[in-house]
Amino acid sequence: MLTTTAPGLDLEASFEQALQGFGLSPAAAHLLWLPLPMVLVLVAAVVGVLVNVWLERKISAAVQQRIGPEYAGALGVLQPMADGLKLVFKEDIIPARADGLLFTLGPVLVLIPVILSWLVVPFGQHLLISNVGIGIFLWISLSSIQPIGLLMSGYASNNKYSLLGGLRAAAQSISYEIPLALAVLAVVMMSNSLSTVDIVNQQTGAGILSWNIWRQPVGFVIFWICALAECERLPFDLPEAEEELVAGYQTEYSGMKFALFYLGSYINLVLSALLVSVLYLGGWGFPIPVEWLASWLHQPIDAPLVQLITGSVGIVMTVLKAYLLVFLAILLRWTTPRVRIDQLLDLGWKFLLPIALVNLLITAALKLAFPAVFGG
Amino acid sequence: MFGFLKKVGDYTRDAVGAANYLTQGLAVTFDHLRRRPITVQYPYEKLIPSERYRGRIHYEFDKCIACEVCVRVCPINLPVVDWVMNKATKKKELRNYSIDFGVCIFCGNCVEYCPTNCLSMTEEYELAAFDRHSLNFDNIALGRLPTSVTSDPAVVPLRELVYLPKGVLDPHDVPDTAPRVGKLPEQVLESLPSGDAS
Repeated sequence: MLTTTAPGLDLEASFEQALQGFGLSPAAAHLLWLPLPMVLVLVAAVVGVLVNVWLERKISAAVQQRIGPEYAGALGVLQPMADGLKLVFKEDIIPARADGLLFTLGPVLVLIPVILSWLVVPFGQHLLISNVGIGIFLWISLSSIQPIGLLMSGYASNNKYSLLGGLRAAAQSISYEIPLALAVLAVVMMSNSLSTVDIVNQQTGAGILSWNIWRQPVGFVIFWICALAECERLPFDLPEAEEELVAGYQTEYSGMKFALFYLGSYINLVLSALLVSVLYLGGWGFPIPVEWLASWLHQPIDAPLVQLITGSVGIVMTVLKAYLLVFLAILLRWTTPRVRIDQLLDLGWKFLLPIALVNLLITAALKLAFPAVFGG
Repeated sequence: MFGFLKKVGDYTRDAVGAANYLTQGLAVTFDHLRRRPITVQYPYEKLIPSERYRGRIHYEFDKCIACEVCVRVCPINLPVVDWVMNKATKKKELRNYSIDFGVCIFCGNCVEYCPTNCLSMTEEYELAAFDRHSLNFDNIALGRLPTSVTSDPAVVPLRELVYLPKGVLDPHDVPDTAPRVGKLPEQVLESLPSGDAS
């Protein structure tokens, strides 16, 4: 399934062809290509976080009939940038009785897997860093590195709140990983592939009607709840519950190390929203298939201009769907009260896990009964 | 068998109920996005205090007869009236008068009971100070004219909610001429039958 050569904008091939035209060897051309998508995705992730922070503050303000950030840039768009700059210039403090090495390693271990997971986020047929065959599995395994970093920083801080926060984060991540993986498994079963590109391609047949959310509504809800729990968003923000634990595992952090946590949590939110849109909302697919639109307008789908437009529409659709989900997450933040730790684990183990299992079994049965609709 | 099915049914009903409550909550928060903020940008914009606002107390030294009624009606006997008896004229001679606004609760009893109306309430409310002792106003400080929101050129005065026209919640962009909701006191007096107005 890796070598699907569906028509689509392939920047990599064209770039390497152009370089080979200058007389470079294919290997050298590939080497020159490699850093481009990485830097681009890193920049996209950071800009995504800035937009996310701004949206969070503005939407929170609107929900509470406040104005929100206003003076830094038009409508306060530069406020997240100002916050980030402030954190860069802050003193980097390692508490006297803390374990310096683990204390430094913790935030790094939290951030790196999250950024690495962007490897498999597709914005178009060929618009991703690498179409890994085990894409979605890679994301799940990478996200299970994160609790180690959280636990590490909580333990190394030598602070009771940090330790409790780290322990809670680990317990929460481990509990919600399982229903999350089961929900993903049902989708994977329908598309016969772990690759994110194949999962989206399987949802492109009939536009909005072929999106996985109609075939996997329960899986969608489970995945979204688990993703919120993994991101430590508000109904499940026990690890950093400020009323109980000051700031959880972040208590002793300041300056750039704190910024890494901050960045990590927001990149994770954007990433989760992107993956929900990939797994359940048709990824880069337009509600009406672009192929139909092209044929109605009597345009050949392979024409360069049409390719460019479909590529741009794909990126816009992916980002739009992701930010709609981010909006939902922000709205949920101001709607739901925080759950207790026992309620959190109850919900994970006694509710989501059985439901996800039943969902998986039903999907398997439906796949056997209606192979045409549920992926043969 | 039926017990198990009943449990499953109850569980499902609970889950559906929880989802229902969640959507209701989301509807509330989503609805709040529609409502615009009526924020007053404080140092640049200020609300005009109402006419019965109980702010910093103003005091006129020359009217005071040092009767100490203000001290007696004060819940904590706060005003300090410093007078001496002039033996020659057999009259009280007032030397100093002070009220500590760090302790005052602005109940207005002193103003209410002052026989010569030398005490009055102002609309001044920005009493923040770096040192609490500077809140102990003597008769000179008490005699200063109060600052007014409407006369400060650096401040945009805004009307309070009850002084806005009917149905208006946002004080910005309301013209000065727009009448407030309800009747003014003099209009109420006019509408009363004559002889009842006393």
